[in-house]
Amino acid sequence: MIKAIVKTELAIYFRNLNSIFLPLIFFFLILSVFPLILGTDKILLGKIIPGMIWITVILTTLLSSNNFFRDDFKNGVIETYLTSDASIELVLFFRIVSCWVFTCLPVIIFIPLVSLLFEISFQNSTIILLTLILGTPVLISIGIFGSALTLGLAKNNILTPVIIIPFYIPVLIFSASAIEAVSIGLPFTMQIYILLALLVLVLPTMPYLLKYTLELSINN
Amino acid sequence: MNISKIANLRFFYTRTESIAFILSILSFLLFCIGIYWGLYIAPTDYLQGDSYRIMYVHVPAAWLSLQVYIIMAFSGFIALVWKIKIMEIASIQCAPIGAFFTIIALITGMIWGKPTWGTYWVWDAMLTSELILLFLYIGIMVLYSAFSDKRQAVKVTSLLAIIGIINIPIIHYSVEWWNTLHQGPTVTKFEKPSAHITMLLPLLYMLFTFNVYFLTVFIKRVRLGIYLREKNSKWLEEYLND
Repeated sequence: MIKAIVKTELAIYFRNLNSIFLPLIFFFLILSVFPLILGTDKILLGKIIPGMIWITVILTTLLSSNNFFRDDFKNGVIETYLTSDASIELVLFFRIVSCWVFTCLPVIIFIPLVSLLFEISFQNSTIILLTLILGTPVLISIGIFGSALTLGLAKNNILTPVIIIPFYIPVLIFSASAIEAVSIGLPFTMQIYILLALLVLVLPTMPYLLKYTLELSINN
Repeated sequence: MNISKIANLRFFYTRTESIAFILSILSFLLFCIGIYWGLYIAPTDYLQGDSYRIMYVHVPAAWLSLQVYIIMAFSGFIALVWKIKIMEIASIQCAPIGAFFTIIALITGMIWGKPTWGTYWVWDAMLTSELILLFLYIGIMVLYSAFSDKRQAVKVTSLLAIIGIINIPIIHYSVEWWNTLHQGPTVTKFEKPSAHITMLLPLLYMLFTFNVYFLTVFIKRVRLGIYLREKNSKWLEEYLND
């Protein structure tokens, strides 16, 4: 069962290679726009680059999870999910994970390169990596929840981000403060624990919530 | 279509017209007394002078902004679980009222902040979480208006409100914690030196008045929601023609 789900997901993503590279290209594009707007002052850039990376990651997750269920809804896959005997929660869980693997993981892998480009210290880039690994699955899950909420709508391009960005705030606050704590040499374990707690809270409950939301959106 | 549910809406719509009228007069009178009590009778604060008096609007509004969210989420929960029509209407009609209280709390807070903190806006924990609360309300209203099928819309907004109520404490404490870590300006937080009874009584009174006002607007808005949903039904036409 799990094998089949993973296989299908991989096939869908690898059939369309754009879907893997586009988030990454988008990430680098936005990052390279920041110096153009803010100027190339090294001290200023060094101070705000962790925030810039996080803002770019938010945009990437928002855009990649925006129309997450759109095609499945059109094809009738979601109805099939909901009427089948199989455990849809498991399918949804693996779909969240695969969305994360193909949109956030490439970005995370390229963080060392970004650190080279913007001369981020090793310590700082490690904590950026750590917060991204812990934070992005939560952001992706919340984004997918938003796309399930707006499933019944014809156009929802900017609506979903408006609804879900307030829900991003706890993750953003603790990630940013962990990064800041490291850069001024304070302990940061507490923030990491809270990020971990949010991850453990959101990731297992999200498939159930998604199933309920999809049922609400379909039964009209 | 279940007949008893329609009857329920009808019952509410036909019975509350006079109640809403009485309540609106009552809340007007209560507000008049409250203005006099808060602006003239209550003593001047030794630290902040007269500027503290805006508290009599600010604190009840901030209180109500949270209370209305809880009511919205709670009635949304009832609407989702037991599918009671009037609760669906009640849930979504709470959103504009709550947003209104939130805006009042924000604006009065800004006006109070100018003489006290020296600036209109500080990224203070309370202000920031109140602002996020406003965004949550706006999100619910925007989501509701995006659907053409309003029954479907209410289901989705109720779910969002319920998820929001789990999120509000998390947001509140994370913002509070975030702010205490890097508090830039030395904002002398409005340390409540356990307000004197002559100041506290008008505050409690205003809290009561705001609740009465909320009830008035709430009943009127639920009536409006019933009207919008049932405007093609026969009983409404008959009732309005009488």
